[in-house]
Amino acid sequence: MGILAKSQSYRAISEALWQNNPISKQILGICSALAVTVQLNTAIVMSLALTFVVAFSNLTISLLRHQIPRNIRIIVEVSVIATLVILADEFLRAFMYDISKQLSVFVGLIITNCIVMGRAETFAMGNTPWRSFVDGVANGVGYGSILIGVAFFRELLGSGKLLGFAVIPEGFYEAGYQDMGLMVLAPGAFIMIGLFVWLEHTLLKEK
Amino acid sequence: MPKSMKSILFATILCVVCSLLLTAASTGLQIRQQINVEVDRQKNILLALGVVEEGRVAVDRVQSLYNTYVQSLWVDSSGRCVDAGERGPEDLPVYVYERDDTVQAYVVPIDSRGLWGRINGYLALENDGSTIRGFTVYQHQETPGLGGEIESRWFRQNFEGKKIVDANGDFVSIQIAKAGMVDTLPAERRINYVDGISGATMTGKFLNEGMKETLKRYEPVAIQFRRDESTCPAGL
Repeated sequence: MGILAKSQSYRAISEALWQNNPISKQILGICSALAVTVQLNTAIVMSLALTFVVAFSNLTISLLRHQIPRNIRIIVEVSVIATLVILADEFLRAFMYDISKQLSVFVGLIITNCIVMGRAETFAMGNTPWRSFVDGVANGVGYGSILIGVAFFRELLGSGKLLGFAVIPEGFYEAGYQDMGLMVLAPGAFIMIGLFVWLEHTLLKEK
Repeated sequence: MPKSMKSILFATILCVVCSLLLTAASTGLQIRQQINVEVDRQKNILLALGVVEEGRVAVDRVQSLYNTYVQSLWVDSSGRCVDAGERGPEDLPVYVYERDDTVQAYVVPIDSRGLWGRINGYLALENDGSTIRGFTVYQHQETPGLGGEIESRWFRQNFEGKKIVDANGDFVSIQIAKAGMVDTLPAERRINYVDGISGATMTGKFLNEGMKETLKRYEPVAIQFRRDESTCPAGL
């Protein structure tokens, strides 16, 4: 564990997943986190799409980092990210049409997601391709872990289902249990994300 | 090489590479995407007719049900059904649902103005030409959670069994009432109203206008169905 904890890749991963999680610590990418977390399956697909984009944009930009002229680097970063996002969107529309309809504009909006741009600018521009790629995957997973966590509770409490399957027994409803309508609406996501942020900050402080 | 030249060269190469990638992806996946859109359209017609259930339906099942029972036809201004080959420029599309040798229902496409963009859907009517069998929305840009609720199941199911004619059999279209206001209407008019969505009064208003306009244009067909004189499907 000692050697592992000291390796730079490990530090980068644990930073992105925990100490410096893009959503719960840096409060980035909240817009999509609010919009796509009503159901678990849209949250999972969105997490995968973002992980794909941030990992490969980091990789591409890191490979080109010595060639990219400083004065147009932001434009280059945005072009690379936009290309990857459109590729992901086209792919979803061809192979996962139902989910792509539910995600609608939010896949396209990955372009403006601060996490992707932030990692490209602060990490990929100054690190080797492999480490940048790992950093991208770790940040995607960090984003996805909160997204899936929020979606899990929203779908469970809001509609009594998980991945579309009913998990709350009929007997509960007969005994007077009701789905929590608030969880389906955007404020439910705000409250849920707030609770996640609170939990993480408290746990980090105790350490 | 001067610095600005290097930037321009780099940007040009990047643009060419990116656009080649995107063109390849777009043309390579186009056929699959078009099939998806077409199957989704067919699924919504079947959903309005109540032939398939809500949720995921296998692609093969949608296509085989659609090809077996649904005929895509056109109606002219007198309400007569014609095949796609004989259609005039003013003719309207209609989907006829035929099962057990009788026309069970027909579907008209809805293309209405919404608050933020077009609302596209299908309205299925029974073969009496006045009772609504089902309603679906497959494309819209309304606010999620408010106007976006038009695609939700509870709202669409409100339409089932409602009438587009009043007690005397005259055309009145279908109206979306304000949320929770249907019960305050006189009993004989409730059959022409569906319960609306709270927070989406404008969406309801635009959809009302769009549906009324569409149904008015389809009145000639509906009248024939009401009199049981329909020539749909063509050739009968």
